[in-house]
Amino acid sequence: MGTSDAALVRRVQTGDTRAYADLVARYRDRLGRYALHMLGNREDAEEVLQDAFVRAYRSLASCDDPERFGAWLYGILVNRCRTAGARAARRAQRFVYDPTALERAPSAAPDGRTEWEDVVRWALARLPPESREAFLLKHVEDLEYEDMARLTGAGVSALKMRVKRAREQLRAILKEAERV
Amino acid sequence: MFDQPDDAVERMARHLRQPVRIDPALDERVMRAIATLPTPVRSTAGVAWSWLTRPRRLTLTPLGMVAAAAALAAVVLLYRRGPGPPVLPRTDTRPFQFVLVAPRATRVSLVGDFNDWDATRTPMRRVRATSSLWSTLIPLAPGRYRYSFLVDGAHWRADPAAPAARDDEFGTPSSVVTVGGS
Repeated sequence: MGTSDAALVRRVQTGDTRAYADLVARYRDRLGRYALHMLGNREDAEEVLQDAFVRAYRSLASCDDPERFGAWLYGILVNRCRTAGARAARRAQRFVYDPTALERAPSAAPDGRTEWEDVVRWALARLPPESREAFLLKHVEDLEYEDMARLTGAGVSALKMRVKRAREQLRAILKEAERV
Repeated sequence: MFDQPDDAVERMARHLRQPVRIDPALDERVMRAIATLPTPVRSTAGVAWSWLTRPRRLTLTPLGMVAAAAALAAVVLLYRRGPGPPVLPRTDTRPFQFVLVAPRATRVSLVGDFNDWDATRTPMRRVRATSSLWSTLIPLAPGRYRYSFLVDGAHWRADPAAPAARDDEFGTPSSVVTVGGS
């Protein structure tokens, strides 16, 4: 068994910066999965992830409970994803229709994705951000509603409602995709 | 977890739960970025506060237990004022009836905080075969619940006979019921 999160956090808090590399390596893929699904593209996800790790380091002195470093870091990432998502939405609103660029765009999935993967991405992208966030935290990251409430600041009832609505919307979207 | 165990949404969730590989070069970028930042060393006050508020496991010797019990008894005796508030009887769930008038509906479900907003858990029945009145009786513990009616699996209806929920963030009409504790 490796060094605990708490031990690594305390090492960083006492000046051993290298211990932070172990924490980054430990959480990189797990948090990356959430960011990737939430934002829908790898570049944005990696940027947000890097930003979350740097912000967490900057605030590490205020991490009162090093045993719960993972949950604390998760909270920072969820917030960064919200900010990045809002920024991306504003960018999308400024999209200019360009038929030439569309014609030149590759028609097949660029990185060998299957059709099902494309459908999953498309379906997730069509969910409103707060529904996507609730669905991912509950059904992909497997969090309890109480933990989700701590991370998101929303009430448990509201989160249950969001998850339920997300499932209904996804079911309808996936059904629609089957027909096309 | 899902209403229908093998439905497409569960398949989608299973797919999304697969591990994702993020480029390990990210670690180096993070470490380069933090190299320019001050070390997040905790202040003495912060350390002291954490030490004071940290949960602890205490081991009591028999003598220590007697001393602790004596101290607790002394505190109780010192601060006791009269007989204190009456002890309330244990509050249990009580049956609560929900009613909706929906003449053209073919099915109605009651959904709310008490059933995790699951439309399959509390179907309502017509009071009589030809009645336009739908009803269900469910046990509720004291508390405040938000709820709504789902008509024909698609239309959300607030309860016209109850206060509207003010904190509805999703545009779904819903109502509030408060079940008393006595």
